[in-house]
Amino acid sequence: MMLEAAHITCGYGAEPVVKDVSFTLGEGERLSILGPNGCGKTTLLRALAGLLPCEGTVTVLDSDAAKLSRRELSRRVALMSQSAPVYFAYTVRETVAMGRYARRQGGLLDREAPDDEAAVRESLERTGLWPLRDRLITELSGGQLQRVFLARTFAQDPAVILLDEPTSHLDLKYQVELIESLKEWTARPGRAAVGVFHDVNLALDFAHTALLMADGAVRSLGPAGAVDPVLLSDIYGMDVPRYMKAALGRWEG
Amino acid sequence: MKTRGKMALLAALAAASIIAATAVGSVPIPAGDILAILADRLFGAGLPEGMSAVYPAMVMDMRLPRVLLAFLTGAALAMSGTVMQSVLQNPLASPFGLGVSSGAGLGAAIVIVTGLAAGPGRMFLLPAVSLAFGLGTVFLVLRAAKAIDRGYSNLTIILIGMVASLFFNAVMSMLATASPAYAQRINLWLLGSFSMREWSSVWVLLPVTAGCSLLFFRYGRELDAMTFGEEQAQVLGVDMGRCKTLLICAVAALTATAVSFTGVIGFVDLIAPHVVRRFFGAGHRKVLPAAALFGGAFMVLCDLAARTLIPPREIPIGSITALLGAPFFLYIYFAGRRRRSK
Repeated sequence: MMLEAAHITCGYGAEPVVKDVSFTLGEGERLSILGPNGCGKTTLLRALAGLLPCEGTVTVLDSDAAKLSRRELSRRVALMSQSAPVYFAYTVRETVAMGRYARRQGGLLDREAPDDEAAVRESLERTGLWPLRDRLITELSGGQLQRVFLARTFAQDPAVILLDEPTSHLDLKYQVELIESLKEWTARPGRAAVGVFHDVNLALDFAHTALLMADGAVRSLGPAGAVDPVLLSDIYGMDVPRYMKAALGRWEG
Repeated sequence: MKTRGKMALLAALAAASIIAATAVGSVPIPAGDILAILADRLFGAGLPEGMSAVYPAMVMDMRLPRVLLAFLTGAALAMSGTVMQSVLQNPLASPFGLGVSSGAGLGAAIVIVTGLAAGPGRMFLLPAVSLAFGLGTVFLVLRAAKAIDRGYSNLTIILIGMVASLFFNAVMSMLATASPAYAQRINLWLLGSFSMREWSSVWVLLPVTAGCSLLFFRYGRELDAMTFGEEQAQVLGVDMGRCKTLLICAVAALTATAVSFTGVIGFVDLIAPHVVRRFFGAGHRKVLPAAALFGGAFMVLCDLAARTLIPPREIPIGSITALLGAPFFLYIYFAGRRRRSK
């Protein structure tokens, strides 16, 4: 078992945003969380990443996440968020190398771990950023910046990657590429991923398992290929299959 | 040029600024003689024959303590500014802008007005009270920003910091007016001055600056991560709760100690990090030492200007730094805006 969420309840005030959510994530598994805006997807991810205190337990690789130090947790779980503004002009390579923070010894001298250099290089190559490695991140486009954060997440070398709408601001081509590189990444032993996507198609393409949420609670959990269209329409408040078919119709005939 | 080469050049410039500022004054002293006097004091090398007998006293008792105090203050403020900007993810943040300097200055002013500054243990009382006030101010400002703006945005923090700064400066002016006996000294405080140079100030500020710079350097990687926001730093593995408190306390301590000896000096903390990042990139393990060298040299030269431009009068050092800093602040602000709206 890579990750287990048991009865997670959390929020920011008196009223919980996420209510009693449970699921498990096996090795190599990719899970998508679907639901309308404000249903608690991002809040759930933040709780899983240890950024938000919660009731219930998150177990990562057989350890209670609440009992791990921040550094230990970051070696196991990484969260990639929607790209935030950057104010400081680091190079692409420096930014990606920050992913190695949790693996370093730290301290005044802070020597690099022997495999740091190789891990950074591999992450840069995997995301196609090697040619841009000396560029400043303040000069990159939104899409390029998002790839830098993906490379940094890879360099962190966690067991589980959590993705919070990683494809926002990305062109269609890069959306597909990002999903492909994530699929490739999870295919290696000892890895798994949980994603939140705005785009229902993308979410179902990415995942083996789909978790449907509404009002902070789980409405269904099952194979991504067998999501109940009626339930999906109910959750999103519109006829999702009809919308998708109409979109498809535009490309047929 | 490689980083190491640039750093060596900057260190050489800093050393040159110290020698130059010691040489210039009502009686110019040749640089060679200054080096000879230093060598004599440090290693007992002996003084060259034919050197004017007043030189050693002028260098050691009058000019050097002032120049070194200026250098340490500049270095302390520049590093404080660097760390503050990263911790708050805001290129416009600075201890001065957050009211730390003014708060610490007010603490010092109170000590002066109550006459405690003339009492025993004054070398430590002044910095201690300044520290308490500086620390109090930064937490007050952050608390207020959080209460007013749930998003805790950088703009709110800066706005409240400015308000606190102006408010404490106003209180200091009131104190100065109400106690004419100390008015001159407090007014000096409001814009800063190195004219009250004493070796004892150097001996207090030196270990504090050295200690804090080691601490900041140690947290260089954490600071790098923090520039991307607290949440991202945590995701990378940084223990934010501990780091943030520690770093903010160290910044307040360093700023307050410097301010307690020299008064409120703004803008160095704001501009030094920006200038240095242009040449050294954003990584803190390069920016911090470079900021210390640049800030120190800049302050030494500002002080030189302060005491030589309108002799025999002295221009307050804060006026000189603000004269250069104000247009620079606007430049950074509007350049950043243009970039964002592009």
